[in-house]
Amino acid sequence: MKLCSLLWIAIAGCMLKAQSLDPKKLMEPSVDTWPTYNGDYSGRRFSTLSKINAQNIQSLSLAWVYRTSSATGSLGNIVKSTPLVVGGVLYFSIPDQVFAIDARSGQEIWHFHWASKGGWHLGNRGVGMYGNWLYFETPDCQLVSLNSQDGTERWHKQICDLDQFYTATVAPVVIGNRVIVGVSGDDLDIPGYLESRDPETGDVQWHWSSVPKPGEPGSETWPNAEAMAHGGGMTWVPSTYDPELKLLYLGTGNPQPVIAGKGRKGDNLFTESIVALHIESGKLAWYFQPSPHDTHDWDAVETPVLFDGKIDGRPRKLLAQASRNGYFFVLDRTDGTHLVTSEFVKTNWAKGVNAKGQPIPNPAKEPQVDGALVTPNQGGATNWPPPSYSPATGLFYVNASRAFSEYYIFDDSEKPEGWSGNDRGGGGQSMLQALDYKTGKIRWSHQWEGGGVRSGVLTTAGNLLFTGDSSSNFVALNPATGEALWHANLGAAVSNGAISYELDGMQYVVVGAGDALFGFVMRGRS
Amino acid sequence: MERFGGAGVIRMAAVVILSAAAVRGQTPALPDAPGSDTVTRVCGACHPATIVLGHGMTREGWGQVVASMITRGAKGSAADFEAVTNYLAKNLPANAPGGAGGARHSLSAGPGDRQVVDRQSAARGKTIYTSECASCHGPLGRGANGPDLVRSVVVLHDHYGDTLGPYLMQRHPGAAGTAMASLTQKQIQDISHFLHQQVEDTLRSGPYTQVLNVMTGNAQAGAAYFNGAGGCARCHSGTGDLAGIASRYDAPTLQQRLLFPRTVALGAEGVAAPKPVTVKVTYENGEPISGTLVHIDDFNIALRDAAGNYHAWNRTPQLKIERHDPYAAHNELLDRITDQDIHNLVAYLETLK
Repeated sequence: MKLCSLLWIAIAGCMLKAQSLDPKKLMEPSVDTWPTYNGDYSGRRFSTLSKINAQNIQSLSLAWVYRTSSATGSLGNIVKSTPLVVGGVLYFSIPDQVFAIDARSGQEIWHFHWASKGGWHLGNRGVGMYGNWLYFETPDCQLVSLNSQDGTERWHKQICDLDQFYTATVAPVVIGNRVIVGVSGDDLDIPGYLESRDPETGDVQWHWSSVPKPGEPGSETWPNAEAMAHGGGMTWVPSTYDPELKLLYLGTGNPQPVIAGKGRKGDNLFTESIVALHIESGKLAWYFQPSPHDTHDWDAVETPVLFDGKIDGRPRKLLAQASRNGYFFVLDRTDGTHLVTSEFVKTNWAKGVNAKGQPIPNPAKEPQVDGALVTPNQGGATNWPPPSYSPATGLFYVNASRAFSEYYIFDDSEKPEGWSGNDRGGGGQSMLQALDYKTGKIRWSHQWEGGGVRSGVLTTAGNLLFTGDSSSNFVALNPATGEALWHANLGAAVSNGAISYELDGMQYVVVGAGDALFGFVMRGRS
Repeated sequence: MERFGGAGVIRMAAVVILSAAAVRGQTPALPDAPGSDTVTRVCGACHPATIVLGHGMTREGWGQVVASMITRGAKGSAADFEAVTNYLAKNLPANAPGGAGGARHSLSAGPGDRQVVDRQSAARGKTIYTSECASCHGPLGRGANGPDLVRSVVVLHDHYGDTLGPYLMQRHPGAAGTAMASLTQKQIQDISHFLHQQVEDTLRSGPYTQVLNVMTGNAQAGAAYFNGAGGCARCHSGTGDLAGIASRYDAPTLQQRLLFPRTVALGAEGVAAPKPVTVKVTYENGEPISGTLVHIDDFNIALRDAAGNYHAWNRTPQLKIERHDPYAAHNELLDRITDQDIHNLVAYLETLK
């Protein structure tokens, strides 16, 4: 704890500045802040604010629009990041770019551009904040620290090797004096990892590898050292954290080679796993693997959401994940004890569920030279867009899709590498699913008129659920029934998870759609 | 990372040029040709449309990409997707000059300035590789007794031989006194091009994007399914609408179309567009209006009638909507057809030359 007190003293200096982040804010319900990717460490994305509520939602008005293209001069920069709000300033990112805008008015305060040396520019999930400093990852494998006051660069550190086709998209999560960073990339066969970095220097504090070394636990799930060393398991969605248990929860990505799994027989731990890591050491506390030996690109990276509840009458510290493979899992987050497994969309790839609660892959539904008809498709039953858990309703909400694909092996040689196959499919059907965590059963399902939804979910104490549909609508639903209460068409699909904060007694809801952020506000008395 | 020699300097120069362009907010533009505006609109709704630059594919390959994007939420009309596929196939063809995949740019996988494979040099390199390296590293560099070179950090860090050369001369086990220690700079570059070609071929956008063989079924069993359990004969006939279907589509395309008939952009250019969903909309007790569905969501609906007029409504409780999807039976099939049924059906359809 001594280290901790020293940290508080060090940070106290920065506290004098209005826009710096007091780390205590990360432990409290958000009111005037949204200080970390999920609003708090739990990943629930539940706002305790209620000035915008089911009774007055029709009076919600558009306060401002901020277009990234007007700052960058180029189109197609989709806002997939969840903004942070600290000290009345909103910080968000797209690949290579960070923006600070006034959370009340949408006025740009500063804009930082990183001169890129390459990497996939598909998306960036946001920034992390520690005191006066911001952290973000770039497609060319850098962790960049900026001064939040003016957007000037403080330092940058290489976190992965671009030459090996790594790239980086995840929002760093700041926990105490640690910046948790993850990596992406599955063009070639490379191992995933998660690192804790020093917020002052960017140096590595610990490094956790998604794949074991020969002889280590988990190595028995790989055929040989080479398959293991190139086995994938990227870490591209922000982790959640339990400050009491001091455990960090991470979902890992697909094994590699992605589609052709013949060179990596076995369960391929710790890819496609929910892992709990000791925050001080980065050592594995426990794991649960939603997709053993995946061959469908179904990263199990989806947010592990933390909440407390009762199952079979017993109070539990829970962790729930709606996984890309179509299954919903509830675990006890103290030790990983499995409690619930259910399908949140109908799938066809598993032969059943084993005693440990894991789906048992049907070998006939692995990709084949002549094709295998599989649902979900590669896009998954859900994907990275954040789900939500509302303690007010006790329901877990996820924007889901059901679609089929033919999965093909394109390289049937002795040693396929990279992808060596892919899926080819058709359209699908998307829906917002409300799940009872005690049973995994669907309480209600709101079907959208189309497929391919990639929008996150926010629930609030105002008895509202905000999300996007498949037709560019930003929609508020009744979280108890799924009834649509309000909508606005934003001209592009909702591309992140909405956030909420209150300033000067007014509650805001901010959401990204296409290359813009939209700020809605409830003005006047309510 | 080790960088030295002339190639390293060239690489540094390239980085400077790229960075300068990035600072000015300029990214490489799509080739100016018919359809580029559609590509910008449809693809740019989710990611920079320029992400396609540097990738070369056949029309079939691009068709797969477009189909896969539709399943990921890409929005557009059938004509839009056809236009996008045509544009990509014409302007970013397979085997474009500059090597496998052509010149890359900085929005794509790997370093923005990564080695552009020279095919002639790679072909010379293959000859050297085959005689000097293949016995340990395998014919395609994917390893045998020796390590996998496609996954080798020495190779991946290499740029036109700048890392590979010194490694082969000094650090490769058993290098001293062997042939590899006497390779010329040019030969090393040739090997470098060959190895980088193997890396390119392994990437997601490499040549392994073709369906190998779907003709594994039994045509007789397929005919039985067609006329029986599949229910295909309710709408189709092998001697009617499907006569000659096998000469219009190859087998992999037939397989995709029987499962996903609405997925456009696969197969040859100019094939029939998918049939639209039609709707009949009635407001309170008024006259129903029918036409092709243009848009529907929870809150609005729009159609185009036979005369070409556009009609739209708010979806209120007073509005009655009847929908007809001509592919409803295909969609319903997805939940009950087996993989064996699919391959048998394809084998049967392939007999309809």
